[in-house]
Amino acid sequence: MASVDWNALAAKSRRSRRWKNGLLIGFLTLVSVPILLPFFWMVVISVTARTGGVEAAVLWLACAVLVPATCAYGAAHLALPHPRARIIAGGVIAAAAALGLWALVGDQLHLHNYRFLVNSNLVEDIRGAATAGGQFPWVWTAFGNSLLVASVSTALKVIVATLAGYYLSRFAFRGRSGFLQGLLILEVFHPWMLTIPIFLVIYWVGLLNTLTGPILVLTAIDLPFFIFIMKGFFDAVPWDIEMSAMTDGASRRQAFRMVVLPQVRAGLIAIAVLGFIKGWEEYVFVTALRTGNSYWVMSTYLYYVAEDVMGVDYGLVAAVSVFYMIPSLALYLWCQRYLTQMTMGGVKG
Amino acid sequence: MARVDLQGLHKVWDTATAVDGLDLTINDGEFVAILGPSGCGKSTTLFMLAGVYLPTAGDILFDGARINEVEARDRNVGIVFQSYALYPNMTVLQNILFPLRFQKHPDADQRARDMADLVQVGDLLDRRPGQLSGGQQQRVALARALVKRPNLLLLDEPLSNLDATLRLTMRAEIRRITRELGVTTILVTHDQLEATTMADRVVCMNAGRIEQVGTAEDLYLRPQSRFVAGFIGSPPINFIEGSVTGGALRCDGQTIAVAAPDGPVCIGLRPELLIPVEDGLAAKVTHVEAMGREVLTSVETAFGTLRFLEPTARPRWRIGDDLQLGFAPDASIVFGAAGTRLDGATAALKKVIHA
Amino acid sequence: MSRPTNLITRGAGAPPPPVMTQASRQTTNALVFLGPACVFLLCLLVIPIFVDLVVAFTDMSQTVRIDGFTTKQFEKLAKPSPEALLGFELRGSFYRALSLSAVYVVCTLAIFNISFALILALTTTALPDWLGGLYRAIWLLPRMSPSVVYGLLWLWTIDPTGRGLLNQVLAVAGLDPVNPKLDAPLTVIVVANGFIGASIGMLILTSAIRSIPQHLFYAARADGAGSLSIVRHIVLPALRWPLSYITVFQSLALLVSFEYIFLIMGPARQTMTMAMLAYTKTLAPGIGSGQYAYGAAITLILIVIGMAVALILWRLSNMKRLLTRPRIEVQ
Repeated sequence: MASVDWNALAAKSRRSRRWKNGLLIGFLTLVSVPILLPFFWMVVISVTARTGGVEAAVLWLACAVLVPATCAYGAAHLALPHPRARIIAGGVIAAAAALGLWALVGDQLHLHNYRFLVNSNLVEDIRGAATAGGQFPWVWTAFGNSLLVASVSTALKVIVATLAGYYLSRFAFRGRSGFLQGLLILEVFHPWMLTIPIFLVIYWVGLLNTLTGPILVLTAIDLPFFIFIMKGFFDAVPWDIEMSAMTDGASRRQAFRMVVLPQVRAGLIAIAVLGFIKGWEEYVFVTALRTGNSYWVMSTYLYYVAEDVMGVDYGLVAAVSVFYMIPSLALYLWCQRYLTQMTMGGVKG
Repeated sequence: MARVDLQGLHKVWDTATAVDGLDLTINDGEFVAILGPSGCGKSTTLFMLAGVYLPTAGDILFDGARINEVEARDRNVGIVFQSYALYPNMTVLQNILFPLRFQKHPDADQRARDMADLVQVGDLLDRRPGQLSGGQQQRVALARALVKRPNLLLLDEPLSNLDATLRLTMRAEIRRITRELGVTTILVTHDQLEATTMADRVVCMNAGRIEQVGTAEDLYLRPQSRFVAGFIGSPPINFIEGSVTGGALRCDGQTIAVAAPDGPVCIGLRPELLIPVEDGLAAKVTHVEAMGREVLTSVETAFGTLRFLEPTARPRWRIGDDLQLGFAPDASIVFGAAGTRLDGATAALKKVIHA
Repeated sequence: MSRPTNLITRGAGAPPPPVMTQASRQTTNALVFLGPACVFLLCLLVIPIFVDLVVAFTDMSQTVRIDGFTTKQFEKLAKPSPEALLGFELRGSFYRALSLSAVYVVCTLAIFNISFALILALTTTALPDWLGGLYRAIWLLPRMSPSVVYGLLWLWTIDPTGRGLLNQVLAVAGLDPVNPKLDAPLTVIVVANGFIGASIGMLILTSAIRSIPQHLFYAARADGAGSLSIVRHIVLPALRWPLSYITVFQSLALLVSFEYIFLIMGPARQTMTMAMLAYTKTLAPGIGSGQYAYGAAITLILIVIGMAVALILWRLSNMKRLLTRPRIEVQ
């Protein structure tokens, strides 16, 4: 075999590795900017805008501080292999960025736009009492309703989907394959497709203009998908442990409760988080299932704030948006790793 | 083909050290087995050789040149995994051809077919991996690793997914093929029989370090550490632990003479070298295992439980029998407090010495 | 109930267990486990499908009364024409909605839900785990934020005045301000839906890439394959099924989606897809005119398309695994 220039190969490999990672990070950063920038802008507006005016300069000043800070941390992360050193570097850079922000835009910051949280008569204050006539609620009313819709529908979804998923995964019964195939067809029926007939059914049952309507509908529309997710998780639980629980003296229901259910905790958390975020953000059905303004939830509140009440008061609209976004975003960031597991369970159905 | 040197090789993960300073030379065309319990760092070493992991410190040399940072694709290394890692979407022929795709070989097809014949899968070329038995998949994986005539062949527990009889055949097959091609081979395994029967030299590893390098005979008869003595051999070696005072271990009136300085020692005694004698260490039989060709008897003595092996199909002892055990002076291996062998130290039963 | 002969006493003092036959246990189990799901699915998914089938052939409007049966709604969508190939031709507005839907679905799917999702999945999995996860989290942000907020962000970004984020960026680059909402409405809805669709595809493909055994990558690298060869020979073959799943499922989801289109574009004619047409004619807040039968007729067409998609999905999915028989037979 001819002699190989190992040194040249090593240099080539070092170069190509550095290039590859650099290119990937550069590309991903570039495509992520259009996603991040609008969200960041919204937050900036909510804490700086005064009586309608939007200070574009603030956004770019903030970017001028945060972009170098992020780059500096990236460089520090690469240069410092030790986790302790990385944390210290991160802390120093964060402090420097905070100082920079304070120096550049500190005098612009205020929380006046968040006054809707404490002022129950926002519309009257802005437009004069005559126009809205007290129809427009305090934000906490909408918040409470959204919380109610999201949490009750989530609880229902999780319970119903878990029971059905377990039964379909583990029990033999006549018509099982037919049921599963039917469920697969129902999964295809995207909920929005059925908005009109669902509205009619709810109307005939007499649940129009009540919160029960959206709660029940939200529960039903995600059900086929969630049942398949849970079935996937149950399928992955080894039969051995269930069989040994039964030989140890448990009935099937006891085995389900005490042995199998703890094994699918990740699945339960995943569908709970997903279900809650869905219920929290719901707009189509909450508007379709009410006539007039019989109930308010956060999505209709924000829509109304943005479209009708004070379309030009950007600061206030942004503040409501930020307030509306925080719960679902916090939940998402907190439970992110469960959500990625869910897709695996879901797709393999 | 290549000579491979490992110099002070380290691999540190976030929390743990997997490989802790490895020095080893593997000669051109040699078949070396790395043997050790799971988690000893042997697979990590293999993956560093393959170019999948980067060493934290130390060097890997091929024919004297440092290749630490050379990518796997440039190292010209063939590798066979425990799971065979055949590409499920390709046929057997496509799998074997895969490494040659990147070399733009003029007679690639012929070479792949020749290699398939060498490992005896020539009549399965159009099948997919899913349609093959474990042994056949193993042969295809071997062909794929060898088809580009690698500098170095790496085998990662290649036989542990096969059943016992097939394992026996494949052991001989792999040896035949590597010998025929003269390729430098490194086998990683936790099975001592696999290592000792296939390799020219065995490297015994523990906790990221090399315990001993040698032939199968070296490791069995002349273990340099207590770990090697305990890991090699089945049924395992007996250990008697104690503290030497005045050239002897004493317990309950029984005495073993030890030619070693005073201090804690550990005496290793292979089960087949312990023999019932007229006048030896008093022992009471607690358990008898007939293993077919041999009988393994456990006894309780003043120095703890010992086991001895007799080449007979019919058990001579029954539970509760009393007997006396003895051993020849050159049968014992004495280890010091640190677990390393004390050179020149021997142990013998006092009574036997006096007699 | 007769006295069982094989009653096992379970510890002193405990009441004897209720005696149930295998069959009665099966019934109660089915009721307990499957009952609630059946009620929900039947009342709010199956019945609505049949309701739609009936209402599509009526003249139901704001009064929500059924007076008689008619095919009038379908005549609004198409008129009989002896010259046409199928014996009818589509009316203008419906024809426009249909072709707009097709363009919108195909563009969004091809550019974002598949191509860009694949690129994101491949690039983020090639990076160290924490870094790839960070970029994936960023891309999931639109999906996880409420739809009204997302729509609002789009409105502010593409605002035609100098205040719009896009125009601010263009101004920095020295370009003239644009008004995408008026000049490129289709692009707006494709990109807005695409950002969301790409993140879903990215999640599915990422987990598919993750489930490829690590040894295959090692083996391919030792065999001399570079990054691109590994993608072509190892990764892409493993993504065949997830990619077809995404194609089938997302095309249908896009076809019936109207939420973001409505929130960003309102009832604009340039983006009046089929789903938007049905929505604006019936339930859209403020502008819905309650032509329920007309909406139901369009919905019926979507249902038929959905059925066809279900059949495709049926062929694609691994029915044998889905229907694997349970291994415990007692109830």
